[in-house]
Amino acid sequence: MIGKTFVPAVLLLLISGYASAGLLDNIQKGLDMLSTSSDATQKAARPISDEEEYFLGRAVAARILETYPLLKEPKLTEYVNSIGMVLVLHSEKPYTHGGYHFAILDADEMNAFACPGGTIFITRGMLKAVTNEDELAAVLAHEIAHVSHGDGIASITKSRWTEAVTIIGSKAAQNYGPQELSRLTGIFEGSIDDIVKTLVVKGYSKSMEYDADKTAVSYLVKTGYEPGAMKDFLERMVSRGKASEGGILKTHPGTLDRIDTVRAEIPKETADPSRVSRRTNRFSAAWN
Amino acid sequence: MNRNHLITASLFLIAMAAMVSAETVTVITRENTVREDCRFLAPAKAKVQFGDQLDVTAVEGDWFRVKFQNVKGCIHKNAVREKTAALTDVSGKGYRATHDEVALAGKGFNPEVERAYREKHPELDYAAVETIEAYRVSDESLKAFITAGGLNQP
Repeated sequence: MIGKTFVPAVLLLLISGYASAGLLDNIQKGLDMLSTSSDATQKAARPISDEEEYFLGRAVAARILETYPLLKEPKLTEYVNSIGMVLVLHSEKPYTHGGYHFAILDADEMNAFACPGGTIFITRGMLKAVTNEDELAAVLAHEIAHVSHGDGIASITKSRWTEAVTIIGSKAAQNYGPQELSRLTGIFEGSIDDIVKTLVVKGYSKSMEYDADKTAVSYLVKTGYEPGAMKDFLERMVSRGKASEGGILKTHPGTLDRIDTVRAEIPKETADPSRVSRRTNRFSAAWN
Repeated sequence: MNRNHLITASLFLIAMAAMVSAETVTVITRENTVREDCRFLAPAKAKVQFGDQLDVTAVEGDWFRVKFQNVKGCIHKNAVREKTAALTDVSGKGYRATHDEVALAGKGFNPEVERAYREKHPELDYAAVETIEAYRVSDESLKAFITAGGLNQP
């Protein structure tokens, strides 16, 4: 009895210890064959890859830059990127295919946009609306959460992606023929329209916005920023009557509801006031 | 199933797990860094590019200890794809999604599609997008920024 168990056991351990790449390839090929029958179904469910999200995000960024010019202020841009990157490294998705990049748009309008893949825009108007680094971090954290949650990508019409997958899934098409490329480019363009429309005109769903607010608070806590910074910012918007104006607040759910959602997420412990003050000083200095 | 079969099946699973742990991971970001320790902003030991294969020697939380061209270090799990993690879950959803992504790598919305889109829309300022993508905050600057602002190290 021992012998019967021992022999296969030794063989298996030998396989595990000395398996060559060729053996692993053969195992993989076998598994491939087993799964071939359900390939079509699986492909229909294939999510958009990080690489595809990157190309979509670049196009969305280019479209946004058609309306809003880029503000070329190296010192301020580096400051915003520094805040953004620290938050990103405390997020659940610290790396995307092309990485996170933060840029300032030269517009008075108070707004911020998260392109799929990690390019995040904030307007000059928004930078003026926040009063310190912690509030700025809160706005950026909210946008990072949209990237991390894949909210931009989720606005692509399902039927559009299903059609794309049908073309992509053709194993014969290593390089697209002119017809396939034309169809795929059309779908790519339509997907970009879907995302831009959501970002600039329609806004995300209420639940996506509330989730982004909640996640933003968690990023602030992990990073060491004042957890109540988002609430402070939103409350000031309400008290100044800006909550019903255009820009970001036009495409977001009711500010009072957002304040309630955010308040529920804020832990009792606040950030060290002396550190907040230190950060506020460098926030002021970044403008000069 | 009798006892012998049970033991054999258990050993088979152990063997499969050992194979996976000795496998490689593939870099899925355009570029990334193999670091000395398994933490963000630890000293850089090697630069890696999209598609590079790294040998995994151990797993530490959200990090893989890897070997790349005789350099040993750490890379975050978010920057790589476990190419053969499929072997641990041949019947599950996780396997299939991963396998499809590997099989269709480079297909879909790729540089070829972007090129066709840009030809159709020459008015779009992709140069500005590339300027934005070139923004970098060095590790040293970021460390100094964190310290000066009394923030938490990631």
